[in-house]
Amino acid sequence: MHLLQNIDFLQDPEFGEKVITLMAAFVLVLQIAMVGQRSLIMNIRVFGTQSFLLAAIAAAIAWYNHAPHIYIAAVMTVLIKAILVPILLERLVDRVDIRHEIEPIVNTPLSIVISGGLTLVAYTVAESFYHPEAGPQTGPASLGHNTLAVAISVFLIGFFMMINRRKALTQVLALLSLENGIFLAAICLTYGMPLIVELGVFFDVLVAVLVLGILVYQIRETFDSMDVSKLRRLRG
Amino acid sequence: MILLILLLVPFVGLVGQPLSSVNPAARRTMETANLAAFGITFVLSLVLAAQVLASGPVSLWSGFLYADSLSALVCLLTASVALVCSVYAVGYLREDERSGAFDQEGDTAAAKLRKYYSLTPLFVFAMLLVALANNLGLMWVAIEGTTLASVFLVTFYGKRTSLEAAWKYAMIGGVGLAMALFGTVLAYYAGHRLPASDTIGGLNWSVLAGHAASLDKTTMRLAFILALLGYGTKAGLAPMHTWKPDAYSEAPVPAAAILSSAMLNCALYGLIRFYILTSRCLGPQFPGGLLLIFGMLSMGISVPFILVQRNFRRLLAYHTIDHAGIMVTALGVGGKLASLALMLHMTYHTVAKSLLFLCAGNVSQHFKTDLFDKVKGGVIRVMPVTGAVFLMAMLAIIGMPPFSLFQSEFLILRAAFAGGHYLATALFVLFGTGIFAGALLHVGSLVLGPSDEAPVAVLRPWRDYSMLTLAVVLVVIGFWLPVPLLDLIRGAARVVTGD
Repeated sequence: MHLLQNIDFLQDPEFGEKVITLMAAFVLVLQIAMVGQRSLIMNIRVFGTQSFLLAAIAAAIAWYNHAPHIYIAAVMTVLIKAILVPILLERLVDRVDIRHEIEPIVNTPLSIVISGGLTLVAYTVAESFYHPEAGPQTGPASLGHNTLAVAISVFLIGFFMMINRRKALTQVLALLSLENGIFLAAICLTYGMPLIVELGVFFDVLVAVLVLGILVYQIRETFDSMDVSKLRRLRG
Repeated sequence: MILLILLLVPFVGLVGQPLSSVNPAARRTMETANLAAFGITFVLSLVLAAQVLASGPVSLWSGFLYADSLSALVCLLTASVALVCSVYAVGYLREDERSGAFDQEGDTAAAKLRKYYSLTPLFVFAMLLVALANNLGLMWVAIEGTTLASVFLVTFYGKRTSLEAAWKYAMIGGVGLAMALFGTVLAYYAGHRLPASDTIGGLNWSVLAGHAASLDKTTMRLAFILALLGYGTKAGLAPMHTWKPDAYSEAPVPAAAILSSAMLNCALYGLIRFYILTSRCLGPQFPGGLLLIFGMLSMGISVPFILVQRNFRRLLAYHTIDHAGIMVTALGVGGKLASLALMLHMTYHTVAKSLLFLCAGNVSQHFKTDLFDKVKGGVIRVMPVTGAVFLMAMLAIIGMPPFSLFQSEFLILRAAFAGGHYLATALFVLFGTGIFAGALLHVGSLVLGPSDEAPVAVLRPWRDYSMLTLAVVLVVIGFWLPVPLLDLIRGAARVVTGD
């Protein structure tokens, strides 16, 4: 700790902001990679990496803004979203024995163009949170609107992925990545929510993955397929 | 202290779970535990309501748990429905076991019983937490918890259609609640300039509501839109309503009754809390207008589906969508009269809708189908008690005058007209007429008419007495509301208007 405090750039908030923005950009790149990636296992790993980056962003914000409670959220993110959830999902893939490629409804090039468009929308929305004329902002909002824009893009692209995919498991992944966007927004807007809420949200995410995992398994067993477009007996 | 005990009591229902095969003693333990848990929950929610009436809002751990009249009302309604449904469930599940409905697909009978009796306490716990959590984030966690606890109630029978229903329920609910979480994050951000906003109390509703005028307006606008979409999905507002008919028609009837009344209240409760914050921050026009649009849309969409419906449990589900629309409309109209009407309607709807589901459960257990054409009418001759109550409850819910829902709907209309929402009033009447005709036609032909089947003479005590109790309550509140309950409803309406 003492050693770290003597290194100049680790004390420089401007440098910190750049590092955080850079990592946020990587989060967005990974999200778009998920849209383009057709292999299910790779998708799960990209999600794990993305969660890991999120944890790194959280830790960086905690360090540069001296907000120690965010470290706990960072650790929880690594444990649950970067390690536990990918392991659970990969085991599920093994058990249902499906290694088919993801078959998106809109083809890959067009999907990526749409994701780009959603990123533009996100920047427009994030703009309304940015008031440079109000003088140098203090506190959480000072992080600039780049990170927030990335968060909103991840959220919107997650939505798009949910609509664009037919297989049950890939929809679960889309839902999880959408949640990553919300986590990023919470971290960069307000340094995360109060700890008890953060813990509750992590608990819910974990239970949701378990519940959805069991459902995916049952659907696979009963219908002999994970294609949710086959779930259409209930109408009207 | 009462808040904590009230939250923990449902866990009593988890006692006596280990059960490998259905043996009568073990089943009786589970039933007793379930009944005891919800019985105590009901008594405690009465005590809480009395305390709130006597001395104002109750809070625990410096405002971590908090109950004003609105929370107390929602708790009381949740606890009453849970109690009635737990009594009904005893008879319903025994009947299912006898008729062999358990043996078809999926888990064994013992596993199904265990599933029902362990998930309902968790479900009720989550719903009570929604009403008692002061922290908006924790409230979100609890609402998500209600979805997670009830997904496997929807897959209860393990049929293909129940899996489909559960998948839609979990995914649509999950996406919706993700939006609500984003809305909650933004609400927290809107208050980040308030003093002590970074402490644990920074997301407490009572704190935010106290400083609502100084919340960041742009952020709060976006937060409300997201919360409306999110909690609206959970309440089944159109166009996010598609999970509702599926989930309600696949879940076992007592669980469907809880979903359609108590859980709807919880989702609306979340929406009401956000509405109060937003209307104090931005004025009532902005949130009110949005709510009116969603209310009209929900009422309008349910009309054609009710008119052509072939399955009576799905008919009830579209009715719930309609009533969610009515309540959201009342919230959108705003003001003293509409808020009072909203709380009255919430109370009346809870009683009538859960009663309807119990009746539908009796019919579908006897005829082994949910379809109108297969029952072929004449329910009132085959099952005189159920048939009569079914018809009465249907008349009540479509707003026939002697019953209570007429009063509340009339009040909403009056408030909407006085508030100058002429288009909304006209549409309200129009849609109301369509639903009136459709529902009455369907249920009339289901209940009335001749039947070749021999009447069922025996009364099934658990099922029929719980249904009759609720029927008596429905009739009585049409003419006379106990003064303390009316005070509680008035108090809840005052929470919405903020005076």
